[in-house]
Amino acid sequence: MNLDRASIIASIKAEIVKIAATLDGDASDLQPDELIPASGYIDSAGLLELIGWFEASYDFRVPAEEFTVDNLGTMDAMAGYLLRRKGAA
Amino acid sequence: MAFAIHVPRINNNDDEVKLAGLQIAVGSRVTKGQIVGQVETDKAVVDVEAGNDGFVLAILGEVDATVSVGSVLVWVGQTVDEAVPLPQGTPPGAVSTSSAPTAKAGALLAEHGLDAAQVPASGERLTVADVERFLATGGAASTPSRAAVPATASKVDSVPDVAGELKLLKSEEKGMLATVTWHRDVAVPGYVEVSYDPAPWDEYAQTFGQQHGLLLSPLLPLMAWRLVELAAESPRLNATIVGSKRYEYAEVNVGFTVQAGDVLYLAVVRNSAALGPLGFVTGLVDLQRRAAGHKLGPLETQGATIGFSSMARWKVSRHIPILPPHTAIMVAHAVAPDGSGVLGATYDHRVLNGSEAAATLRKLCKPPKAP
Repeated sequence: MNLDRASIIASIKAEIVKIAATLDGDASDLQPDELIPASGYIDSAGLLELIGWFEASYDFRVPAEEFTVDNLGTMDAMAGYLLRRKGAA
Repeated sequence: MAFAIHVPRINNNDDEVKLAGLQIAVGSRVTKGQIVGQVETDKAVVDVEAGNDGFVLAILGEVDATVSVGSVLVWVGQTVDEAVPLPQGTPPGAVSTSSAPTAKAGALLAEHGLDAAQVPASGERLTVADVERFLATGGAASTPSRAAVPATASKVDSVPDVAGELKLLKSEEKGMLATVTWHRDVAVPGYVEVSYDPAPWDEYAQTFGQQHGLLLSPLLPLMAWRLVELAAESPRLNATIVGSKRYEYAEVNVGFTVQAGDVLYLAVVRNSAALGPLGFVTGLVDLQRRAAGHKLGPLETQGATIGFSSMARWKVSRHIPILPPHTAIMVAHAVAPDGSGVLGATYDHRVLNGSEAAATLRKLCKPPKAP
């Protein structure tokens, strides 16, 4: 996977749109800085699915203590967290 | 009445043999004297014969797996839809433990992060062979009676008269089959439902989540935790029937459904009551995360004594769940199109009556006073 911030966000958004579609939702308007849990597009189970995909796609593991809104609450935060973890930020 | 075909002894030195072959399938008809399979040691191979005419109800071993001499290998019934008997004197989910491990067994337990109480002993002491068998079966050996969950797919025992292809089931599909078959053949299920105002629960969960900085909404885990509290107060909720007696579990093991892609897991939080609300919520979230990655261990998907499920995300207004094997109640959460909350419960009427199930749901409708 490309470790370019815009590409990461695009990939995350594509996954969110895909998960939201399974719930009859359309998340195509989700903004990079919009709080995902509060957006209403995906629920907790969908968010878990998203994080699972995130870990598998970028081959890393989010420790329980870093499973926070600050790190994973928005697409922008997720991308920043990934880049920090990969030492690319 | 069902008849058992036991694993034969080949020689005096081997208490276990390998199941080398099977010539039957669940639902197939067998006749007295028919060879149904073979077992072997490194010295000999012996045919296994049916002792009675009938239909294969369940097969309790897999080809190439090790089976214990004298254990039930096949249940044969007089009819194809007869229930498979539960093992005599073995409560469901009970672990036949209390045997002290040998030194080598203790080391092996430590190596795999296991507790001796999880592993059934075949003799007076827990041996290396017991632990290895437990590991080889993915922990299934800890719940011997659960292996007796009837596995008949349906009452149709022959291929339909329309062109098609038989497909092997994945492990999770086999689990689902075993669950619905237990529900169909053993439990006496009833269903009750109440509607409730979801606002107090939503507010409670939001406050709880903010207090603890949680990323995910703790609403459903907290409702499941409330069920744990109710089960601890009312042991009948956390029970099943063995023979003509009620078996009340010593621990509350909550089975919580987790949809991970196409796979539906029943993730089990063991000994839930000891965790406290935050420990339960974080423990369940951890299980959910690993379920989402298809990384649950065997002990995390079996041994449920009570169940909780939600289909709110699927926007269904009614959800009548299937009872996990050897449980008395499975609570189902949903949200109706008008936004009102719905709590339903499938219950085993051999253990609980409708008013008990309804009273449980009414208590679940309201959160505790303060997080």
